[in-house]
Amino acid sequence: MSRSPFVAVVRKELTDTLRDRRTLIAMVVVPLLLFPVLTIAAARITGSRAQEARDKQLHIAIADPMNDSGLADRLGAAPGIRVERTRDVSALPARIASEELDAAIVIDPTFRRDVAALRPGGLTLMFKSSDDFDIPKRRVLAAIAGFEQELLNQRFADLKLDPQVVHAVRVNEHDIAQAREILGKVIGGLLPYMFIIFCFTGSMYPAIDLAAGEKERGTLETLLTAPVRRRTLVLGKFTVVALAGLVSAVIAMFSLYVSVAQGVEGIPPELLAAVAQVLEPATIAVVLALLLPLSMFFAALLLMLSVYARSYKEAMSIISPLMIVVLFPAMIALLPGSELSLATALIPILNVSLATRELIAGTAEPGLIALVFASLVALAAASLWACTRWFAREDIVFRS
Amino acid sequence: MITAEHLAKRFTLSRQQRRTLGVDGRQPGRELQAVDDLSLRCRPGRIFALLGPNGAGKTTALRMIATLLRPDAGRIEIAGIDALKDPVAARRKLGFLTGSTRLYERLTAEETLRYYADLAGVSAADYRRRRDALFASLGIDAFADRRVGKLSTGMQQKVSIARTIIHDPEVIVFDEATSGLDVIAARAIIQFIRKCRDDGKTVLFSTHIMSEVTLLADDLAIVHGGRTIFDGTLAEFTAASGERSLEEAFIHRIEASEATSAAGGPRT
Repeated sequence: MSRSPFVAVVRKELTDTLRDRRTLIAMVVVPLLLFPVLTIAAARITGSRAQEARDKQLHIAIADPMNDSGLADRLGAAPGIRVERTRDVSALPARIASEELDAAIVIDPTFRRDVAALRPGGLTLMFKSSDDFDIPKRRVLAAIAGFEQELLNQRFADLKLDPQVVHAVRVNEHDIAQAREILGKVIGGLLPYMFIIFCFTGSMYPAIDLAAGEKERGTLETLLTAPVRRRTLVLGKFTVVALAGLVSAVIAMFSLYVSVAQGVEGIPPELLAAVAQVLEPATIAVVLALLLPLSMFFAALLLMLSVYARSYKEAMSIISPLMIVVLFPAMIALLPGSELSLATALIPILNVSLATRELIAGTAEPGLIALVFASLVALAAASLWACTRWFAREDIVFRS
Repeated sequence: MITAEHLAKRFTLSRQQRRTLGVDGRQPGRELQAVDDLSLRCRPGRIFALLGPNGAGKTTALRMIATLLRPDAGRIEIAGIDALKDPVAARRKLGFLTGSTRLYERLTAEETLRYYADLAGVSAADYRRRRDALFASLGIDAFADRRVGKLSTGMQQKVSIARTIIHDPEVIVFDEATSGLDVIAARAIIQFIRKCRDDGKTVLFSTHIMSEVTLLADDLAIVHGGRTIFDGTLAEFTAASGERSLEEAFIHRIEASEATSAAGGPRT
């Protein structure tokens, strides 16, 4: 018995694809490593920067004209703060700008008098906003707050008042959103975005290779003289391209799951807990069910563009800008306020993004998810039909 | 047997093609009549040469016969099968080899052959038998498991030949199959064409090289401007050309045809 032509095409294209280093990197290596590497790197870098800012010895100048505020003594006693008393106020901005000083405090001459008269004592905090999360500024403000509390306590004692009298309203916060829901909205927007990207990039290289690449290498003409229906050839290529995209997205998901399950060092524990909660088998199954028709749509679209191109290079230049077009709806889902509705359930890509987000947050409505799935299946079928028609056109296939 | 009758094919030209072909604003239309009323009949056990200058319409005609392109008009029969009605069945009887034919570089020689055998629906037993015979006769055994991309041009040529006939077609079409090949690789193709004839196959080959025609052809058609301007046996052509060499006779025919079409106005 001979193999069926369809199986032969799928087998051959799969072998050919898996032997192409470029495709393998885009399809397997990048999605496998991107998530853990990016997360760890980001966590490491931000962590170390924040740590550095926290541990840093702050150099603060204090100009206290009457020398009676007591702030310099108070700050000097705080850990990690080195206080320099100064009288030269005019030089302070330049010294902060040059980062010789981390901050400076100029105390009003009337400070002590104002405090004694039960008015707020004024002081000016000079600092330079930085990308160190403003940790130095927060540390100085915390020290000043401690100083203010001491003054307040003194004030209440003098007035024989209970410090609690300043609070007329007590707010008890009670957030009924579950942790999963909150995190779902945050990372839930990001994860489908990642899966959609991988679905696309995983399909991209095989699609270019299996159509424009065949044209460029002179193998397409030979293939078309084989006694097999053109539709069978297209279906075989389409299957492999769609599979490549889906596999790429699954690998990304798997990599995410493993790095979370293994608790890769460097990933913040809060994020680990949230992702672990999100990665339930049922959620994964539904997300995959949505990604399958999406990858079919991408495969058909990419193959059509690829066979239109005369060469690998031309196909790249047509498809690369398309990536932005495809990712735009996926990005909309990241915006606050975008929600899955009857209308958005029909917009390709955006619907997958929003549906995945809802699924991860655990707030998905089954009816809408079914609508998303149905619209994607319809889209995949239509694009596959268009793709087979496209491959039947002589002016496209033999475009030179 | 190949029977092609009154084939016609017209292409819409892209801007780039118009520029390449030098079709300018003075000539009407954006279309090119690549083949215009072309007929030919190739018989089993004989070699039919399709001769013509570049751009004569040879490749378009052969692509129509190989069912790659659909003619606008005319009829094609491959080994008794109506190629327009059932192109897949016609292709099952047909092997096609062009000078620009390349193979999948990431497949091995054996995988390549197996792939085309599967596409043609060759049974496993037939495949094994033909593969063994082809590998032995072409000397592919030594590199059957090596990837095609790692093979020399000569080795690749052998795999191409095996690929063309793995499904044992009755009709074999060669489109300028020796173009771009060195003398040794070209000779392998020439020998292969002869062997096909000796095996009783119908062979149709296109070329613009006169020496290949004298080496191989039994029958001959000269195409120019998409039309057949001579159709007969090589012996008839030689007899008709009188004192002239074959090359001179060929050029004479082309020039005479150009003079006629110039009188009839532009074709494009």
